Amino acid sequence: MSEYILELKDVVKTFGGVTALNGVHFQLKRGEIHALMGENGAGKSTFIKVITGVHQPDSGLMLLEGEKITFRSTEDSAKMGIAAIYQHVTAFPDLSVTENIFMGQEIKNKLGIYNWKLMTKRAKELIEPLSKNIDVSKPMSTLSVAQQQLVEIAKALSRDARILIMDEPTASLSRRECEELYQIAERLRDEGVSIIFITHKFEDMYRLATRVTVFRDSQYIGCWDVDKISNQKLIGEMVGRELTQMYPPKNATIGETVLKINSISKEGFFKDVSFDVRKGEILALTGLVGAGRTEVCQNIFGIMKPDTGSIELEGKEVKISSPIDALNLGIGLLPEDRQTQGLINELPIYQNVSSADMKKFIKGGKLDTNAEEAKAIELCQKIQLKAKDISAPPSSLSGGNQQKVVFAKLLNCDLKVLILDEPTKGIDVGAKYSIYEIMNELTANGYAIIMVSSEMPEVLGMADRIVVMRSGRVAGSFDADGTTQEMILEASLKQDEGKED
Amino acid sequence: MNKNKSMVSKITESRNFGLVLGLVVLLIVARIITPSMYSVNSIINMLQNNAVYGLLAVGEMMVIITAGIDISIGATLSLTGVVCCRLMAENPGVPGIVWLLLALVIGALCGAFNGILVGYFKMVPMIATLGTMYIFRGFSFLFSGGQWWFPHQFTEGYMAFATKKIAGLPSILWILIIVFVLAIIFLGYTTKGRRIYAIGTNKESSQVAGIKEAKVVFLAMTLCGMLAGLSGMLYTANYATCSYMIGDAYEMTAIAICILGGVSIVGGKGKVDGVIIGFLMMAVITYFISLLPGLSVWSDAIQGAIIIAAVALNKFTERSAEKRALKERSALI
Amino acid sequence: MSGEKNTNVPVRDLSVKQGFKLSKFLVSWEMVLIYILILINLVLIATRTNLYFAPGTIQAIIQSGMDVCPLVLGMILILMLGDIDVSVASTMIFASMVTGLCCQSGMPAIIGVVLGIGAGALCGAFNGFFVAYIGMPAVIVTIATSMLFRGVVKIILDVNVLKVFPSFYTTVAWTNIAGIPLSLILFLVMGAGFVFLLQKSRFGRKLYIIGNNPTCAQYSGIDVKKTKLIVFVIMGAMCGVASIFFVGRMGGSVSSTMGTGYEMTAIAICVLGGVSTNGGKGKVYGPVIATLIMAFLTYTLGLLEVDANSRKIVTGFILIIAVLIPNVNRELLASMKLKFIYKGNKNIEALNVKTAAEVKALKESIAEAKKDTSLNETDKASKIKKAEDKIDSLQKKCKKQTELWLREQREDEKKAKERFAAK
Repeated sequence: MSEYILELKDVVKTFGGVTALNGVHFQLKRGEIHALMGENGAGKSTFIKVITGVHQPDSGLMLLEGEKITFRSTEDSAKMGIAAIYQHVTAFPDLSVTENIFMGQEIKNKLGIYNWKLMTKRAKELIEPLSKNIDVSKPMSTLSVAQQQLVEIAKALSRDARILIMDEPTASLSRRECEELYQIAERLRDEGVSIIFITHKFEDMYRLATRVTVFRDSQYIGCWDVDKISNQKLIGEMVGRELTQMYPPKNATIGETVLKINSISKEGFFKDVSFDVRKGEILALTGLVGAGRTEVCQNIFGIMKPDTGSIELEGKEVKISSPIDALNLGIGLLPEDRQTQGLINELPIYQNVSSADMKKFIKGGKLDTNAEEAKAIELCQKIQLKAKDISAPPSSLSGGNQQKVVFAKLLNCDLKVLILDEPTKGIDVGAKYSIYEIMNELTANGYAIIMVSSEMPEVLGMADRIVVMRSGRVAGSFDADGTTQEMILEASLKQDEGKED
Repeated sequence: MNKNKSMVSKITESRNFGLVLGLVVLLIVARIITPSMYSVNSIINMLQNNAVYGLLAVGEMMVIITAGIDISIGATLSLTGVVCCRLMAENPGVPGIVWLLLALVIGALCGAFNGILVGYFKMVPMIATLGTMYIFRGFSFLFSGGQWWFPHQFTEGYMAFATKKIAGLPSILWILIIVFVLAIIFLGYTTKGRRIYAIGTNKESSQVAGIKEAKVVFLAMTLCGMLAGLSGMLYTANYATCSYMIGDAYEMTAIAICILGGVSIVGGKGKVDGVIIGFLMMAVITYFISLLPGLSVWSDAIQGAIIIAAVALNKFTERSAEKRALKERSALI
Repeated sequence: MSGEKNTNVPVRDLSVKQGFKLSKFLVSWEMVLIYILILINLVLIATRTNLYFAPGTIQAIIQSGMDVCPLVLGMILILMLGDIDVSVASTMIFASMVTGLCCQSGMPAIIGVVLGIGAGALCGAFNGFFVAYIGMPAVIVTIATSMLFRGVVKIILDVNVLKVFPSFYTTVAWTNIAGIPLSLILFLVMGAGFVFLLQKSRFGRKLYIIGNNPTCAQYSGIDVKKTKLIVFVIMGAMCGVASIFFVGRMGGSVSSTMGTGYEMTAIAICVLGGVSTNGGKGKVYGPVIATLIMAFLTYTLGLLEVDANSRKIVTGFILIIAVLIPNVNRELLASMKLKFIYKGNKNIEALNVKTAAEVKALKESIAEAKKDTSLNETDKASKIKKAEDKIDSLQKKCKKQTELWLREQREDEKKAKERFAAK
């Protein structure tokens, strides 16, 4: 038997004229956790789809246990013990956990009738070692994201998976949930499962993987032992150039308080949240995912209304009952999910840019398209948007440039306070830097920025002050100077654990 | 967590509880206003005359669970009814079972046509079946030539499928019961049936899981058409009259029954037992209306109002459930 | 990428470069509709020359199709939101009834008309409230209200027929001004209004945004619920306007069973006119032309002695084909070819496409060589021969490789089957 359970050599895959994979190599050892890294669009997703049989390679070899193999569908790969847990959990929300686990391999009697009893029993046996508090008869939609991922793992295990592919499993998990996932991954590895772990987080890689393979621009860059490559070098390999500095220098002067939040509460989401933000300042709102950060932002922006508490803008108490009010008062929100909340993919860029404030383009009762385009061009040039032209649809842009369109949309309104909810989520390293530049330029121009972020280095690198939230409450606030990752972590975790015990 | 909940709270939280409660209230009201309603005969009569709605609703339910809708079933019913009646009247010697099978085939073909448009050509179900509704109804007229068929033209063997009594129940009700049972087994315990739920709840996941969406939609729509065809034949057999105008707006009633029975219009949710209760409610309502003199002009308005009320109620219970969930979460903060 | 600020990066030119393009304009959906309209007219001219050129024929044709036009205009907005309204015919009858009852009781005509349109708007508001503020699906709400509104008419009118209507109703439906039907003029005027409303105004832009992405619309400070309500109210009011055209067409009378199926015609026209039922796509011009197409088509079918019920079949097929045409594009054809000719093997597909391109290039070079006068005959012949040989060898190679791959695929499948069976 060969040393490698799965081996890919010189795999090429093109879609029409676009090369998605260009001579890619990959070697997975038996019982190892192998990290796969690379910027967005580096070809990782296509690679996974080739392994699982969604796509067939144009040329190249795939060897499973040293033997050449071709998968023509996901069923083929599943039968050979390859299972994938995709980035966006691909579950059936209305169906029960049991059914989700057994979808496609149901236990049936001779007449083809389901044996629900046996399936439920097996499902319980599979779930129990992973988590104690998942009720297998409940619909999937009642579970948290982390729990849903565990169900996906149980599903993979139910198929006797020998190779498990996890596509950014920690992207939307809290630190504690991540830790639980790490432990499960390690246990699986010890049981002999080989795991391909795709991630953007270096933390995941250092914690779990023994080796790391890097892709860039559809090409294979290299494979290293994790303990033999430095962080700097790895980033360099991913980006293709050396990073001298991750965060651009700041040149804003901090002024008076613009927005003051006075102990607002919303039932089921958060309680007694207070903070303020000053002119030219970046305030980071951090903490675990699910700590209520996004909801606080949505309450300030008027998507939801807080039950109690008040919001002061420039010393005056304001009532915000809808995004319309917020925008009129000068508060803008860059939403967390730009695809569903920030962009209209079918309409041209300039219409996206003007959408939040169209009033100023009205001339004689009709919208002045020329003025719209001129304004959009002005704004987009300022933030260095890379697009064919201003009438191209946002769907033709990369993630970073799409985010810039949303920025331009906010800049089109006359705002004082910008709330940025995970502004660099799902954006590759290069584009992140230019988003940071934009943020710094905005503060220099007197904007007050509230930035929600889960990435510790980003918080420390960009913010002037840091507010940490923990399960719906403010757990502490720090000045960026002299604050360390450990201090923030401690604040966001401490009591949480005490409560569970 | 669930184990220490009492039996009572479990029952009251069940989805069907509200439906059954509604049905009971309805029955009591009807009883007070029209005492004659509750003889065994009148109940059987009531169910017999509403049976086709039950059949249509079961088919419609499958389509709605796939997150689609089929508004051509009334026209399918008419087309099958006309074809069967005309051929039956022209060939009185042929045994009745032939017409039953023919009805299933014609219905299935109509449904399959819908299924191809929606499943394989990815048309919006509402628009596709809107088009086929025209087409089927038009063909129904063409085939009938505007003609009517009356009881004397109907053969015994044909009518027996609806009216012949077996163990005290007319055969149309036995057929309805069989369809209900088959639907429960199909939707609850077979792979194909569960696939219908799967694509209704999440199309993307289905794709990843290797479920062919087009095939499942095609199957659901074909079955729906088949049941519509069956009800076309049984309708004409039951009333022993037929013209191309039968079954007008029956799809609305079928959809109403589904909604009353808790089938979610956005797909993925809905059970046969709910539809059975919805069917009973609708039967009681229509029968009740027909018993009161002068009320028959009210039937459309009442049905419309009931649908709106049912969906609105559904929305409000959903919202209050959400609120309850939020309160529970608040305790953790 | 570096630490310093990228101030020296050249400013990107983002202005829209592509202006008006005739070739694109000529194949746009609106133009296709116009071609269809012309084609139908040519057929009519060819088959019934005398009738076609007889005075009044064209006017009559156009008039016959105009009773549905206000519904079409309103429906464009509804479909733009991604919603649907199947209660429009019932609302129209309801509005007619209100006007009829007012006129019957001796009120001034104008009050009756205003109340009728108001009643329509109220019905629309009823729909809109449940769709926008309660969050119920538009299909269900309007199916229910189509029963409800007509049900109310049935309760009030029973089998009676209302016969007192303002006299201008019939004028609208049946007169021509300078040879042009009044109803067409009114339609075009209203159409122009809707072009402005949908394509030029801020309100229209909001509809496009909501139709494409309602969540984003909310985050962009658009009151989605209110906008939806307004659209349904406009639709209802347009039903009220439609009642003028409709009752006029019917010669000034209304009963509870009239006008069934108008909602379907209106939706069919919109879809034919290129308005997407998924929302966010379409313009006003298309449905306007499609309304005329429908009028001419119905008339032509009538001339061919196709009765009203069978015409339904044609309407149904038109509706389906109109939706299908945009779906039958290159992509679909390519995927069909892949499935059936290349047996789902993308490598074979790629090879065949590549070979086809090469062969095409060679053939072009042959054609060029044939035209080339600078070469003498023998050179030319040899060059052509060479290219032809190359085509031949390329095609042979491609065929051979395809067969090889297909065989490999079959073997693979067989092997895989055995392997999986063993598991």
